[in-house]
Amino acid sequence: MTTSPGFSPPSRSPQTPPAPSFHPPHQAPVIADAAYLAGLKKVTQYYVVTAFLALLIGTLMGPLQALNYGGINVYDNPILKALIKSYYQGLSLHGVLNALVFTQFFISGFLLYLPARDLGMKINMKFAWFTYFLMTAGLLTAAVPLLMNDATLLYTFYPPMEGSPVFYIGAAVMVGSSLLVVGQVVGMWLRWKRANPGRVTPLVAFMSVATWMMWAVASLGLVIEVVFLLIPWSLGWVAGVDPLISKTLFWWTGHAIVYFWVLPAYIAWYAFLPNHAGGRIVSEPLVRLTFVMFLLNSTPVGLHHQYADPNISATWKTMHMFLTFLIAIPSLLTAFSVAASLEDAARARGGKGLFGWMTKLPWNKPTFSAPVLAMISFILGGAGGVVNASSAFAPVIHNTAWIPGHFHITVGTATTLTFMGLSFWLIPHLTGKRLPSVKLASAAVWTWFVGMMVFALGMHWQGLYGVPRRALVSATAQNVYRDMPIEIPRMLTAISGMILLVSAVMYFYVLFRMLLSRRVDDGEVATPIPYSEVISSAGQKMAGASALVRFTEPLLALWGVALLLVLLMYGPVLARLFANAELVPGWRLY
Amino acid sequence: MSAPRPASPRPAGQRLDHHTLEKYENIWFGIATVLAIFLFVTVLASFFSGTYPSLNGESGHHITGVKNGRLNPKNFAATPFATPGLRHNADGSYEAFVVAQAFQFQPAVLKVPAGQPVTIHVTSADVLHGYYVEGTNINATAIPGQVTSFTTTFRRPGTLNLICNEYCGTGHHNMINSVKVEVQEP
Repeated sequence: MTTSPGFSPPSRSPQTPPAPSFHPPHQAPVIADAAYLAGLKKVTQYYVVTAFLALLIGTLMGPLQALNYGGINVYDNPILKALIKSYYQGLSLHGVLNALVFTQFFISGFLLYLPARDLGMKINMKFAWFTYFLMTAGLLTAAVPLLMNDATLLYTFYPPMEGSPVFYIGAAVMVGSSLLVVGQVVGMWLRWKRANPGRVTPLVAFMSVATWMMWAVASLGLVIEVVFLLIPWSLGWVAGVDPLISKTLFWWTGHAIVYFWVLPAYIAWYAFLPNHAGGRIVSEPLVRLTFVMFLLNSTPVGLHHQYADPNISATWKTMHMFLTFLIAIPSLLTAFSVAASLEDAARARGGKGLFGWMTKLPWNKPTFSAPVLAMISFILGGAGGVVNASSAFAPVIHNTAWIPGHFHITVGTATTLTFMGLSFWLIPHLTGKRLPSVKLASAAVWTWFVGMMVFALGMHWQGLYGVPRRALVSATAQNVYRDMPIEIPRMLTAISGMILLVSAVMYFYVLFRMLLSRRVDDGEVATPIPYSEVISSAGQKMAGASALVRFTEPLLALWGVALLLVLLMYGPVLARLFANAELVPGWRLY
Repeated sequence: MSAPRPASPRPAGQRLDHHTLEKYENIWFGIATVLAIFLFVTVLASFFSGTYPSLNGESGHHITGVKNGRLNPKNFAATPFATPGLRHNADGSYEAFVVAQAFQFQPAVLKVPAGQPVTIHVTSADVLHGYYVEGTNINATAIPGQVTSFTTTFRRPGTLNLICNEYCGTGHHNMINSVKVEVQEP
């Protein structure tokens, strides 16, 4: 529990020009203890591979659902029927595995490894492995009822639709384990702070710690819901459950969780993408401000998912809406900064013109194209998100196919495609193995992007006609959907499912060929962490640092403010709901 | 998303510098903030213009047997939900009571007058359901133990599909009924 013996502060290389307008890439402190480094890499690899295994199963369900929204019902096929009981069970698996399991495992590995390397700190490896196995045990426990059709609740698991208690317990253990990662990362950062008084936290560590702090505040709602309401209820210890209280606690976490999914992608865009492009990070202080905004503002916005719910006053909903609009600001800042990094890279390669510089970017490099296409997708997804957040527009698209259209270009592309792109260097870095085919990796990235764009177009379009989300619309007794003029979007959705299937096959082929190949390199040398040069650095010493750096450095205090803000924005709402609680019995209708 | 560039091309080797970027950053930050506030103001404006079908929240109900917007889903007998359908009140106003239950709405065909404000109260007898009227912005959650109320005016006569858009079990996709908007006999 001490700083690594090999810790040495990064020094400026002597050949830096005298008055540079930029700063050389940050150098992660050397970790001299080879056995420790190998162990740290191993646990990270376990998290990442578990994540992609979940994505594999979850993704394979996807094309079936795309066909459903293409008007083709495949769920009566006897072979499929033997595996999944219904569209709704397949959808539950798809949602839980892709949105909850894949993301959380990947992030738990990625954002444990990065700050540990960035700060050069030693972490307790026994604790790290314990957390991994606990999280996996939670996942496997929850998987049993999911696969047995005993928890076909979709990934929102709104009561009083009732699942097996095993599902709620497994989910609680899995999500709760992520709080152990929070403890380990924040603890490591605090030890670093004590060992390095007066130093500014390096950027990647700063972003990682802020993300975990945000998640700790955000996850409270879900943890309270599952541990104190759903588990006792599903075990029959209490007679009923108040569905509105549960739903409100769910969305306390449920919206902020999207920032938990997307902030690790932001870290990759800010810190590593400039390196892949050949450019520089624009401004470290601005990046730090962006992350502080997310820490403070990600969670007290959840009521914008509940405009359609009764017994919550319009005033509180409107306040949450205002905060939701404010959270667009750090994303807009990110769009500016990262685009400037790319322009910087392209002009350094001789790019010219207002937009012509874009052609000079390395589009055929999958470590570059994946995050950039993910970002482009996120610009469109973010614009749609503003519509969803607006209480004037929301009633038109709430619970329609528009919503899955929206989140497949946000979490399904911005996050997922970025993580896929990360795997192309992270796995070689961790294992010393090589990417078997750059071309195939590149093809997987581009087809994923195109497939998701087509899917989103089809689904947004159908949603505007009122086709509901997560319904077996291809097999209704009534002609409602067959009578709608939606042949084109239906066809687009069906086609997108096939494009994405091809993409997934290519991606997982590359991934598993890489994982099953021999170790050929030293990952530290052959594929180092791709740190980038910086135009405006935050500096290393607090003394003389800019006001923005000094304001953003005390993350612990800002964490307290974030918690306070959530209590202010949720406390009165929940107090009123609890005062009027109406417990109702559970139902199993699947 | 590209930052504005000076008209003359920069000489090779001269790259973006800190000061230029900081200026653009500040301008962009300003634009982003104004945009967020503008969005908020436009939504507020829609409240006043009445295009937003606000749910009547909290103690806004005066329904027999319903307290603080809550009722016992096992016992509708004491409430108007025992006999779902449209009511024409003594003061001339219209009220409709709707029960959502796996996998249909009651009444299966809700008849409402065209051009008259109608307050619709929805509750559920079992799990969550959605109350979405095709082609409108009527989109509310039906929750067991709770009453969701809103006031709306159907302008054109005709039959509209009433779709459950919240997952409620195996038959969810077949939970489709209708609202029949009828011309008032003078």
